[in-house]
Amino acid sequence: MMLQQRPDRVLGGPHDTFWMHCDDDELWMQQCETCALVQWPPAESCERCDSENIQWAHLSGHGQLVSWCTFERAYYKELSAPWETIVVELDEGPLFVSNPYGFSVSSAMLGKHVEVTFIDCEDSAGRFRLPVFSSCAPPMSA
Amino acid sequence: MSAYVAAKNLSRVAAITGVGETDYGLDFEAARGRGGDRQPADAQTLMAVAFDRALVDCGLRPDQVDGLIVSVDNEDEDVAGIAAALGIEPSYSAVGDTVTPLGMAGMKGVVPTAVESLAAERCDALAVLYSSRSQTSRKQFGGTTYRGDGRHSYYYYHPWGWSSQAAHWALMFTYYQQTYGVPEVDLGQVALTLRAAATQNPNAIMRKPLTIEEYLEAPYIVRPLRRLDLCLPNDGAVCLILQRVDDASAGRRDPVVIAGWADDSVTEQKMHHLVKDRLSTQMRNAGEAALEMAGLTLGDVGHFQGYDASTIHLVNQLEGYGFAKPGAGLHLWKEGRFELNGQLPVNTSGGMLSEAYMHGWNYFVEATRQLRGEAGSRQIPDIGVSMLAITTTDSAHPLILTRGGS
Repeated sequence: MMLQQRPDRVLGGPHDTFWMHCDDDELWMQQCETCALVQWPPAESCERCDSENIQWAHLSGHGQLVSWCTFERAYYKELSAPWETIVVELDEGPLFVSNPYGFSVSSAMLGKHVEVTFIDCEDSAGRFRLPVFSSCAPPMSA
Repeated sequence: MSAYVAAKNLSRVAAITGVGETDYGLDFEAARGRGGDRQPADAQTLMAVAFDRALVDCGLRPDQVDGLIVSVDNEDEDVAGIAAALGIEPSYSAVGDTVTPLGMAGMKGVVPTAVESLAAERCDALAVLYSSRSQTSRKQFGGTTYRGDGRHSYYYYHPWGWSSQAAHWALMFTYYQQTYGVPEVDLGQVALTLRAAATQNPNAIMRKPLTIEEYLEAPYIVRPLRRLDLCLPNDGAVCLILQRVDDASAGRRDPVVIAGWADDSVTEQKMHHLVKDRLSTQMRNAGEAALEMAGLTLGDVGHFQGYDASTIHLVNQLEGYGFAKPGAGLHLWKEGRFELNGQLPVNTSGGMLSEAYMHGWNYFVEATRQLRGEAGSRQIPDIGVSMLAITTTDSAHPLILTRGGS
């Protein structure tokens, strides 16, 4: 897989923890021990109850498409237009902005099931694994 | 998520007695190098023009203005410097935290802050002065040059290439289309309706009637949104003069009374509230509180000025504040309900899509003209109550203005 150049990540503090897990091909997010909110992006405290009692949780990496948009002009020198982005509602709750992998938003439907995959990328801070989402089968009904 | 509800005793305490704005269309052309001898105006000139016109409008002399609140962007100027340049010596002055009417340190809303200052008799005649130069400053609303602030800003999404204000509204429209099965072309009715209103406003930047073919030919910026779904960048200034209602009644024109307001903001899970809930919770909370403060109901509102950073967001506000059922907004646009001669005329000066991108400040000018009966060929008959809604990606700040005087 070709190494992709990407605009710089936000790094430092809890952001480093997020990206460290991505390098292991795992999606982790902060979960508040007080109110149970799983939050994205990372922060020093819970965005709902402001508790500092937050832990990192390993997420399933599964979710459903909520929305998408395509940039028809280039906003970043590293990326060419048209550029497709998606919003995934993760099974654990957060809405996560990402890119489609192996499908185009032109065939997207609300509620489409997707799962995380990681691709090799590089920004000015070095190489990293970026979480993006590919189509997957709906989960077996309970 | 707690709605800020003002004390009811501030309802109808103050009124807008003067309005002034710059020459949006002429300055737009000058900034594009098409203004002939006219040069692009600097911020100081823009503010002076708006201020002088507001004074003429209300009949006050500069030395009678003893309060000043400024909301400016891209500028280093402080309020003392601006006051000095205008030749006034305010006993009360303040600076808005943001360039929209939303932001004020310690409490929400620039206009509510002005009303409080008048009620507390910190001043008797207060100028609210706004200026923005989003055209000549070539401000970018996305990409890595944009430095956001706060934990919700979009610089978190740089590695995925998601950025810009327009992208927020694009995500909203995709979700809306998928949820309600609305064809993309229907959104064009919003742009066409506002342009039709702008043809009746000599000061609007875009006055040429728009066809649906022209709308569809405009390039996509962030699909599914086209250029004509997004507001204009331009330079300009707006000035409002506020006085206590008792003093205002002695003025030359009917005062436009500030009857109610409220606000509500998203404090967590911004993406969820913006894309899926479409701020409906915030709008409902704040809209009901503002009307309650004014002692009015939704049915009393005869004119709506909503934050049209994007066509879809204006549809969203009509639904969120209760003027249309969720998912029914575009259908009502197609029926003509929100045209100048419709049941609820919306953004009657052309809004930020066709008149000028004044961060919502031009809504106060238009509402004032409509409530005074001075809106010329775009005048709404028998209008008594106007609702303004400053609704951004994470905040809802509705205000209720009513016709004063006899």
